[in-house]
Amino acid sequence: MRDSWQEKFRIFLLHRIPLVTTFILMFIFFTPVNSVQLNYFRPTVGVICVYYWALKRGYMFSYISAFCVGFLTDVYSSSPLGLNILFMMLLVFVTDWLGRYFQSASFGLGWFIFGLVGLGQILLKWLVLTIYFGHILSLSEVMLSYFSTLLFYPFIVSINVWVQNHLLPQERINE
Amino acid sequence: MWRRGVLLIKFSELRVNFRRFFVFILFVVSFLTVLMSKLDNVIVEAAHKAVMDVTGPIMQVVEYPSRIVHRVYTYFYDISHIYADNRELRAENKQMLILQNKVRTLEVENQLLSRLLNYTPPAEATFMSAKIIAESGDNFTHMLLVYIGDEPVKKGQIVLGDESVIGRVDKVSGHYAKIILVTDINSKIPVVVERTRVRGILTGNNTAMPTLLFTRSTADIQEGDVVVTSGVGGMFPAGLPIGFVNTISGGDISVETMADISRVEYVRIVDYGLSNEEEIRMDFFESDK
Repeated sequence: MRDSWQEKFRIFLLHRIPLVTTFILMFIFFTPVNSVQLNYFRPTVGVICVYYWALKRGYMFSYISAFCVGFLTDVYSSSPLGLNILFMMLLVFVTDWLGRYFQSASFGLGWFIFGLVGLGQILLKWLVLTIYFGHILSLSEVMLSYFSTLLFYPFIVSINVWVQNHLLPQERINE
Repeated sequence: MWRRGVLLIKFSELRVNFRRFFVFILFVVSFLTVLMSKLDNVIVEAAHKAVMDVTGPIMQVVEYPSRIVHRVYTYFYDISHIYADNRELRAENKQMLILQNKVRTLEVENQLLSRLLNYTPPAEATFMSAKIIAESGDNFTHMLLVYIGDEPVKKGQIVLGDESVIGRVDKVSGHYAKIILVTDINSKIPVVVERTRVRGILTGNNTAMPTLLFTRSTADIQEGDVVVTSGVGGMFPAGLPIGFVNTISGGDISVETMADISRVEYVRIVDYGLSNEEEIRMDFFESDK
């Protein structure tokens, strides 16, 4: 039976929920904290969301979604445009591969894997930016941000879990 | 029936291959964007501005509750410090009165000397206030997004916190402007140490304290010295305060910014009448090469 256009549109909107959730969380965490020092503790919410959705609902969070999240991060930073896009897509690539083995992993294991993936991602980004700017960037501030992202992981993930359990269908629906 | 099945399989294979190719294209596009952003490409600029235009209003709505929380916190913080502040201000006021008399004398002297030299004063600065609506999207950069409304803000214009320089306008898009803070890695400002007139470049390093570079190793610089803009390159007017020399260790001179960004809700974007600021900036960097 062919789906009506309303049904198709409903499925299309359902598939955008992870991306919209990610955007909302990112906007909340972009709000001014009025402190340069506190800026280092700002978690990179985009990375947590991309990791979570790519791992749990990969078919709803494509490379295009990662592209959009990276683009937004780039606009709200002064790093070269395209860099965060590249890193978000790499994150989807790695998580997609990890998802084959750990999709139904426990929360603790998911957190641990995120710790490793996040560390790799942030160190690679630090290296690329150091080369790009021709200046060794302070690693301590970067690590502070990494640890705060790691600390915020349960909080951000619990929001995403709520969205997944309450707004998304439990079974897979293809677009 | 069999043929149809084969066609369907071929079609799905084609779809998978197309998907892979599309992902590959996305990676190539993002990589090219990184390279193009280094060249200040028009397409990249336009894309950047479009996203700022679309997301700016959302950010304004989202930041409103946080602004209220911050105001309430500041209110109670100020009340708890009112006694100490009052004592400090009384002492400061005494000093100010002494300085006021000195300033009056110097002002008269300055007017007399200016008349003797037939000196033409620079154009008066005009400024506008802009509300901060967002901060850096990642920890590798220090920037602010401000709402400028319909004001004619230009790229390269100077941004003041309370009374000192906190950054410059990097991008303008419709009602929003992106400001690069002096602490950002992309920020390079020609400065001079006020006491000894030693020149240097204040370079952001993504920490709270930018460093003073290109100063002579024998230069007379002490902790606590005030650092002001030198005006070299014509990008910023001379004499605007930025910060104090905080620490000197070996050849590294760290500068603490004067403006307390944690208290800044609004910034002032100043137009010093430096026409074609962007061209001046480009000339400055080209001559630097």
